[in-house]
Order: sequence, then structure tokens, then C-alpha cells
Amino acid sequence: MKPLKAADVEHALQHSRGARVNEDVAAKFRVGDRVLTRNINPIGHTRLPRYARARHGTIACDYGVFIFPDTHAVGEGMKPQHLYSVRFTAQELWGADASARDSVYLDLWDDYLDPA
Amino acid sequence: MSDHHHDHDAPLPDTVLRVKALESLLTEKGLVDPAALDVLIDTYETRVGPRNGAKVVARAWVDDAYKKRLLEDATAAIAEFGFQGRQSEHMVVLENTAKVHNMVVCTLCSCYPWAVLGLPPVWYKSSPYRARAVIDPRGVLEEFGVALDEEVEIRVWDSTAEIRYLVLPQRPGGTEGMDEEALADLVTRDSMIGVGLAGSPGGV
Amino acid sequence: MNGAHDLGGMHGLGAIDPEFDEPVFHEEWERRCFAITLAAGFLGKWNIDMSRYARERMHPADYLGTSYYEHWLHGLQTLLVEQGILTEEEIAARMLELTGEQDT
Repeated sequence: MKPLKAADVEHALQHSRGARVNEDVAAKFRVGDRVLTRNINPIGHTRLPRYARARHGTIACDYGVFIFPDTHAVGEGMKPQHLYSVRFTAQELWGADASARDSVYLDLWDDYLDPA
Repeated sequence: MSDHHHDHDAPLPDTVLRVKALESLLTEKGLVDPAALDVLIDTYETRVGPRNGAKVVARAWVDDAYKKRLLEDATAAIAEFGFQGRQSEHMVVLENTAKVHNMVVCTLCSCYPWAVLGLPPVWYKSSPYRARAVIDPRGVLEEFGVALDEEVEIRVWDSTAEIRYLVLPQRPGGTEGMDEEALADLVTRDSMIGVGLAGSPGGV
Repeated sequence: MNGAHDLGGMHGLGAIDPEFDEPVFHEEWERRCFAITLAAGFLGKWNIDMSRYARERMHPADYLGTSYYEHWLHGLQTLLVEQGILTEEEIAARMLELTGEQDT
């Protein structure tokens, strides 16, 4: 293990690699598709918040292939897969009392989603 | 309000000691270079902050071609200023209009676009904002003094992955003759998170 | 995991209470905690997902009762110990030494 040297800090910060993976993985969904988030409750790490589990949404954007955090956090590899922006209406998440106009967008991976 | 509950009001002595213990052990073992720590702190305390994002926004207000690039590939368009890297590797810019208001939160931790906004303020990282932004965005905006028309659609972006969002606020009225530098002074940090509006000339 | 970090939609946490003209860091220990966390990350022994997981494993009562950089501190210590870089014992011993220094 080598320590980060002062002279290398700027380069290290500017050239952070990020989480996109340059691998050709097929997307399970396309923009406009209706999806249902999975009802998962793992003891380990996940980026699917409780409030958005078992909820219907719509694929708003496909960001490409990214590292999957649930496996990456526990030494089980990157499991590269498509990451999407998924739109949920406020009423789908919070019920009929929520605004009929508003929505919440979450960034979710293929492994969190089923076709609706 | 009299009862402020900022978390930083009472750092426990245990916390201070623990930080010192980890720093001294890591330094002794040669795993941390004290000079590198100084550079890291200086970078985010004095060099990288919301003025970066303000420059991007002001450019988008005056240059339609830049705005188009920014909305199509924000990472590349922002990198034209040299702003890039850690916690901003994959940028997306959200345009606020008369009909749509975007605001950004990270309910699970405190993801924030460091290269354009610097480190996040305490309120952005605190439980009330993270809890409420997604369930009560209109109430949150009201607390920040932003009263939106009922007709405006609110889109809340929960940063659950490594995509980092920057809001492009609406250009305030009465700024037609202003140049890019003067416009940048009107762009507040909060307007780029989506909990504020860009200031009016002379009224920031 | 269904931890305290998963805050979206929780009620009862109060007003947001933004601070006017807020400094980047409020205390010296926050500066140090921020910098050693980033520097230790560059050792390459863990990734950002492991860092988040280490922070969210805090006991929910502790998580909700502490600040952002205290979450970072907890996460950093957890990772350093899990990766075998430091031991709980040497951290505790060093803290005790530092307490002595503070008293004199």
C-alpha cells in the first residue's frame, strides 16, 4: 500500500474513474417501458430505498452500463449492468394524498427491476 | 427560531480523540502523507465550490450552443471549464423552466456534485432534508422561501447511483444586458440544488 | 440493508434549518476526518460501495444521533479494522495516550 502524495492529489481527484463500465451488456428495458421494482430486503448493501420497493415506474433514461453496488460493496464483483433513471409519480410512492403533478426520479439498476 | 440543533454544536471529545488517533496511526505507518491531507483540505475549502457551478450556469444562460451541449452531455460540457473528477464523474444537468422545477437530494447518503458545488452544506446531509425532500418537496421549498405555483410540476431527483445532478435554474428577469461574469454572481448554490431560485440583480 | 440511513419519507425529524453563510468545515476534527478518509481511500483497499456500507452499518440510534463526519469516522474505522490495517486495540490505546496528553 502506497500513500497518496501531495503532488498527486490534484491528478487523483480530477481523474477519478467513476462507476461506468466499458462492457457490452444488454439492457433489459428501453425508455418508456413500465417497470415494477423488486421487493428486496437484503441484509447487505443496496441502493434501492425502502420507499421505492414494489412500486411501478417508467424508464426515463438509460445511462449505460455501471457497477452494481449490491455486489461491489461485499466483494462479490462489479456485476456490470444497465443503470436507468426511473420516474415514479408522487402518488405511486406516497398515496392519493400526494400531488398529482409531482414525481420522484431514482437511479436504478436492471437487477432492481421487473417488467410491469 | 431559538432551538437550533446543528449536529456540529457539540462534537464529542471521543470523536475528536478518535480522529486524532486514526490520523496519527496512519501517518506513523506511512499510509497517509500529512502534506497530502493539507492539499485535500485546501482543495475543497478554498478552491472547489459553488462558484464553479455558477460559471457553468451563467455560460448556459448566454450561450445557446453551450446550453445544448450541457443538456446533452453535461460531463463533457462541464469539463470544458476544467471542472471534473471525484463525485462528478457522470454529470446530468436538469433545466428548470416556468413549468418544471427540479430539485436534488440523496436520501441514502449525501451524494453531491463536488466538482461544481464543492462539499455539501450540513442541511443537505442532515436527516430532515434527506427524509422530507422526496415526500414533501413543496413543504421543503416553502421552508427555503420558494413558493411555486400549484401548476408547476416538481421533479425530485434522488441520487441513488453515481450520476450527479446539477440544476440549471431559470435566468432571472431584468438581466438581459448583463454579461456572463455578472450573471454568475446571481447564481446561488441553493438554486443549483433546486431549493432556491437564482437571485435578481441587486437583490442577492 | 434496512438501516437508519434509508431516510426517504421518514417523519418527525424536524425543520431543515439551513445555516446562513455556512463554512465548509465547522471544526478542525471535521477537516482531519474528511482528509484522512479520502487519503485512506486512495490506498485502494476498498471501493465507494464498501465505504457506504460501512457507514450504514452504524446502529440506527447512533446514526440518527450523530453528524455526517461522525458517520464517515465510523465507516473509516470499520474499514481500517476489517482490512487489517489497524486493530481496535491499537486505536483504543492511542486514544488513551492522547487523553493523557490533553490532561497535561
